[in-house]
Amino acid sequence: MKRASDLRFRYGYLIHQVFVVSLTTLSAIIILTPVVWMINAAMRPIKEVLTYPPRLDPSQLTFEYMASLIENELYRGYFINSTIISLSTLAIVLVLGLLAAYGFSRFKMVGGRYMLLGIMALLMLPTVTLIVPYFRLAHLVGLYDSLFGLIVVNSAFILPICIWLLKGYMDAIPVDLEEAAMIDGCTRLQAMQKILVPLAVPGIVGTGTFVFVFAWNEFLLAVTLTDSPGSQPLTIGLAAFFGQFVRDWNSIMALSTITSIPLMIIFVLFQRWVVQGMTSGAVK
Amino acid sequence: MGEKGAHQPSSPEMTVKVTEAQSARQGPPSTRRVLPREMYGFLFVGPAILFFILVSIFPLLRTFQMSLIDVEAGIPLFVGIRHYAELVQDPWFWSSLTNAFVFTVASVILHIFIGMVLAILLNETWFSTTLRNIMRGLLILPWVFSTASAGLMWTLLYHPFGLLNYLWVGLLGQEMPIEFLAKPGLAMASVVAVNTWKAYPFYMIIILGGLQAIPPELYEAAKVDGANAGRRFWHVTLPQLRPILIAISTIDIITTVGHVDLIRMLTRGGPLRSTETVAYYIYKTALLDGNLGYGAAVSTLMLIMVAILIIVYLRLVSRGSESGETSF
Repeated sequence: MKRASDLRFRYGYLIHQVFVVSLTTLSAIIILTPVVWMINAAMRPIKEVLTYPPRLDPSQLTFEYMASLIENELYRGYFINSTIISLSTLAIVLVLGLLAAYGFSRFKMVGGRYMLLGIMALLMLPTVTLIVPYFRLAHLVGLYDSLFGLIVVNSAFILPICIWLLKGYMDAIPVDLEEAAMIDGCTRLQAMQKILVPLAVPGIVGTGTFVFVFAWNEFLLAVTLTDSPGSQPLTIGLAAFFGQFVRDWNSIMALSTITSIPLMIIFVLFQRWVVQGMTSGAVK
Repeated sequence: MGEKGAHQPSSPEMTVKVTEAQSARQGPPSTRRVLPREMYGFLFVGPAILFFILVSIFPLLRTFQMSLIDVEAGIPLFVGIRHYAELVQDPWFWSSLTNAFVFTVASVILHIFIGMVLAILLNETWFSTTLRNIMRGLLILPWVFSTASAGLMWTLLYHPFGLLNYLWVGLLGQEMPIEFLAKPGLAMASVVAVNTWKAYPFYMIIILGGLQAIPPELYEAAKVDGANAGRRFWHVTLPQLRPILIAISTIDIITTVGHVDLIRMLTRGGPLRSTETVAYYIYKTALLDGNLGYGAAVSTLMLIMVAILIIVYLRLVSRGSESGETSF
């Protein structure tokens, strides 16, 4: 009798496993098709992109398209701009975000709750509702078509969620450690720097990845505030390229792949922390 | 902390000693407490708040102001509510509202539905945790790509000679390829599909976090009471996920309503303006047609709608704090 129920349990488990794993795998295959198709189109001869029947295996692999794009001065420029914009945004947002998250997490302030609610509201502010004043103000203060202007507005849109995520992390770290350090003669900033920040590293890495991906992929602000390739990021380059060479799917997909490579690398490296940050009750 | 009491003595003996306390505060032991603790917090929060005031809130106010003026030939001209009066009679504005509504409702339902299904699958017990983690990574992947890249990937799939039409014509034996992005009725559905693909991972991960936070005892108890999987989902999972579902649907509605880049990449509002949402209408009137005042008026109306949603949401969240549901 015990064996019978054991067996039934095992059969149940087996069916359950087959069901769960196959359904997830099937979903993953469907969901990844566009990505595989992009990379596939980026690396095969020009005649093979839109053939009947479509071929998953290229008759020959070619890096010709990607190579010619990397050698192209214009697209290298876009790439460099995207790098500068993303890294600078990351730096501004992390400094302001860490300080603010620390303030909200460790002090009871008059009106602190309302400030937090305000930040929550800013978090949800759609970018598109501010493009009109940004466009005008950027002209007025001379930041139109400049990397700096783009970095500042990018930061403003990603900072709220950054404060929110980091505050969540800091709330979970006991305050006793810092107090002990301060009794031992550390100043508050030193305690923050030496005790809290190292403990919050997973949270900072997760949030930082989030910020970088956001800044790298930002499109609307860039299209609003820039006008020449000298200050435009890759996303704009991609859209412009698509508009210009509509038929050349190999090169379009090659550029799209190149644009995505840094993100895929970062994602593979830091995925764990991003997921951790997002699942540890960031939205509450 | 006992510092608050030192500033505002409440008991009679302390009132007598208040002068002594004040003089003592200037003494050596308390020099590090010159700033009251509340003020100290502002030092840390201040830079970010200042940044928000300059870069978010000031431009926000400018949106209202700009909706009342016309910039023609560089000279701002006050026109009052003329833009709003025009707006009410503008059929394209109303059609863009309808389109935005369809786009948003369809996207949000699909994001949360797909996110929920996949999160539940990932939250099951797997024979191999490594395999599960790999699957989780693969399923998050679409989130990493830029909307520009996503738009291009899907434009290729939707192409009359693309993969989807191969399945349609080549395998199902249909005569004509489907013009996914060029047929008025179908274009919106195609855009929604891309948006679903691009954004579901974010919601999937948050729902997964919510599922992991549900105490297993609740399921055990439900099992003992004889509840099947469906009933456990309805009576345990859903109520436990309620705060998270409220949060993500609000965030999702507002993010989706604001999408411009996706529509810009896929259809540019066409065909026959059937995918032109309010957000794209703002972008088009203000930046492409150069009608800043009118664009600002549409932005203001959109802001009001978003603000109503945010207020309702924050109300819900604040109420949750009393029952300990949220971190406020």
